[in-house]
Amino acid sequence: MLPRVADSLSFLYLDIVRIHQDDTGVCAEVTSERRGTETVYLPTAALSCVLLGPGTSITARALATFARHGTTVLITGAGGVRCYAATLPDSLTTTWLEHQTRAWADDTRRLAVATAMYEKRFGPGTVPAGANFNQLRGFEGQRVKALYQLLARQYKIGRFRRAYDPDSWDTQDPVNLALSSANTCLYGIVHAAILALGCSPALGFVHNGNQQAFVYDIADLYKADLTIPLAFSLHNSPDPEAAARRSFRDGLRLFKLLPRIVTDIQTLLAPGHPTDIPDPEEQLVDLWDPTTGTVPGGTNHTPGP
Amino acid sequence: MPSMIVISATAVPDHLRGALTRWLLEVTPELYIGTVSARVRDELWTSVTACTANGAAVLAYPAANEQGFTLRTTGSRRRTPIDFDGLTLMAFGKKSQEMANLF
Repeated sequence: MLPRVADSLSFLYLDIVRIHQDDTGVCAEVTSERRGTETVYLPTAALSCVLLGPGTSITARALATFARHGTTVLITGAGGVRCYAATLPDSLTTTWLEHQTRAWADDTRRLAVATAMYEKRFGPGTVPAGANFNQLRGFEGQRVKALYQLLARQYKIGRFRRAYDPDSWDTQDPVNLALSSANTCLYGIVHAAILALGCSPALGFVHNGNQQAFVYDIADLYKADLTIPLAFSLHNSPDPEAAARRSFRDGLRLFKLLPRIVTDIQTLLAPGHPTDIPDPEEQLVDLWDPTTGTVPGGTNHTPGP
Repeated sequence: MPSMIVISATAVPDHLRGALTRWLLEVTPELYIGTVSARVRDELWTSVTACTANGAAVLAYPAANEQGFTLRTTGSRRRTPIDFDGLTLMAFGKKSQEMANLF
């Protein structure tokens, strides 16, 4: 389970294709002006996440095959920017969902997780003891703004202002386009990792009230290392969105992102808990008891003779 | 440093098959496997591309990318690698697809 998620290919972005299942596998019909319509078989079991852009149609059978292989399918906007919906693979252990909801529902533990997230980003000991959510947000804003200024100076861009308004998409500068594009790939991968663990993408610790709140929480851990410097390096690129996806993929390999996301989520949600996950194929559904914890399912628990 | 290479060569002249078997094992008809240096690999590929006009050939060898390998193809009857923002998948024409669905 864990090695499978970590070993797989990170993402595949497709748009303007028809995806269907034939006798042998899931294939995409790609149409190009130069070579006409061609068929491309997709390595469903090897992919952790597929981003489907505009102009894509997919059959229910193909979608079911992705679901059976635990591949997350994201419906995204043009260039992988904005994520509208995602599928959830079935048959997962709920161990990590339980850790997540317990930490999330208790306000003290929620603040502790949020603090741990900030310390993971900016180094241990950077948060003063007893800081509340409001103070944490303040520190984060300052740090990110300082990073934007530093990189803008380094690449001689002048003033940089983060903007991701989809209504004025085409008029944005290359850095903003590249950053949005790389961030959506990052969201897709983080979303896939969260779903692969069986956690809820909706229960965020810092972000709140959105079906992807936890995705944004976890993705924020890696932006300063990964997507923000990448986006600034593409400030002269003629096609910043595709270039961002391409260089992001190389960055992922060097950064070993998927295994890192999985262990980071595990250490944030349950510090000190053993992080190996049992094989879901081997595990029966357990019953829960408030005093003894989990009780094996699949047996008759009638007391007495 | 030598690394493993795989060459599949379809409808190529006999002299090329001889050249390939000097360096590689023909494990099954038209499929060659061996461990050679980058220099030998490039020389072999040059001689393959020189005489696969109507056939097809593909070379795969390890590379430091996400998939772990790189593909090269040549010849007129080949399938084409397509790059999806850094991920390489194979595309082939509609005709062969229809043939596969006949039965």
